Amino acid sequence: MPSFIRKKRLMTVLIGFVILVVLIGFSMRDRTELTVPEKFIQDTVGWAQSIFHSPIQLVTNTTNNIQDMFHVYEQNEVLKSRLAEYKGLIQKNQQLKKENEELRATIDKTESLSGYTPIQATVIARSSERWFEQMTINRGEEHGVAKDMAVITSEGMVGKIKSVGAFHSTVQLLSGFDRSNKISSWVVREGEDNVFGLIEGYDRESGRLLLEGIKQDVELKKGDVVISSGLGGVFPENLRIGKIDEVVNDQFGLTKTAYVEPFADLFDINHVMVVDRDMQTIMEEEQGGGEQQ
Amino acid sequence: MRRYIIPAVLFILLAIQGMAMSLLPANIVYSDLLVTPHWVLCFIVIIAIFYDKDHTYHAIWYGMIFGLLIDVVYTGVLGVYMATYAMTAYVLHGLKELVHANFIVASLLAILSVALADTMLYMIYSFVQVTTISWGNYATSRLLPTVAGNMIFFIILYPCVKNRLEQWSEELTSA
Repeated sequence: MPSFIRKKRLMTVLIGFVILVVLIGFSMRDRTELTVPEKFIQDTVGWAQSIFHSPIQLVTNTTNNIQDMFHVYEQNEVLKSRLAEYKGLIQKNQQLKKENEELRATIDKTESLSGYTPIQATVIARSSERWFEQMTINRGEEHGVAKDMAVITSEGMVGKIKSVGAFHSTVQLLSGFDRSNKISSWVVREGEDNVFGLIEGYDRESGRLLLEGIKQDVELKKGDVVISSGLGGVFPENLRIGKIDEVVNDQFGLTKTAYVEPFADLFDINHVMVVDRDMQTIMEEEQGGGEQQ
Repeated sequence: MRRYIIPAVLFILLAIQGMAMSLLPANIVYSDLLVTPHWVLCFIVIIAIFYDKDHTYHAIWYGMIFGLLIDVVYTGVLGVYMATYAMTAYVLHGLKELVHANFIVASLLAILSVALADTMLYMIYSFVQVTTISWGNYATSRLLPTVAGNMIFFIILYPCVKNRLEQWSEELTSA
């Protein structure tokens, strides 16, 4: 019965198409949590990757170490000259810290937005689909990681937690940020007040972040540092994000947009810290996810 | 025992596919060319050509299952890879009945299926606005490098698994 077979094939295609649309629709909306099977799969693949990861990491580390050994002498010279400088800085830092604590004690405000607990993690894989700028790290719910926490390296911020499994989680990199992942931030100017702005996306062509909503009358210089403000309710204060590269008027001419060069290298990442803010995190009612003002 | 080896290999390829992105030197992987590894698909192509008979559909099932796994692990948008890989395996199943399988033909089929799968991915992803690049841009910055990159992997993989799969296929039909 050829007609029956053809009908069956048509039905399969149609049902397949419906399933595809339903699945995409289900997963594209902003979900607060992954389904149980998804978490299970993420953890299983994560473990498999960890097994392969450690020997490969060992080899790369060894080669890096050997390469480093050739530069030890020059590095040593530079470091020695810096050391004296740092000694003074440490003392000053301690003094300021103490003073800060005393002052806070006098006004009964011991909590601040900048406090956080870091969770150390290793990057075990990156999305093979290049249109999704995300990577997998080997820490999950069991270690205290939760959705929307900031992820940093020693250089600066690299992204935020997109979804968590029990032992592994997925990080959305800054380069994959769009309008639904805003970061409220300060531009630090020397000798002047901080300027408020929102990181609202990433310009793929030039590899820079877009800092929007800067007031028209504010002067920003190239090289000014951008840090997180902690006012969005999820990230702590004072995470280093990047430095200003270029300032342009936005399309309506009402505010300015600055292009921000991220401090952290978004491609070559091995070790990260997940930032667990000490101050109570504000859960958002709306589905926008991420930081909003 | 044999029947578990193929899924195991596919699973390992799936895991390594993501690790390659973080372990290979950054200046190769992260140039302007968006080379995307489709290693799981490469193996599915070989399964479709050498393991499947005319009446068996292993490649399509593997395509669906491991496509879905890629969706879950690497993108978070479910169903896209699942549909693409299954569809590609199905097309391949139809095509291989028309030709005699040898290395050249297999390579051509691999090129065709990687190109087909990646184009379908582009169409679905641009439809749901994951990506917004134009056709011309896509063809030069992603399609061609992806096909080239995956062919290198296919040529390495082919001699390792071809004979074994053919042998298992014989055992499967005679058993």
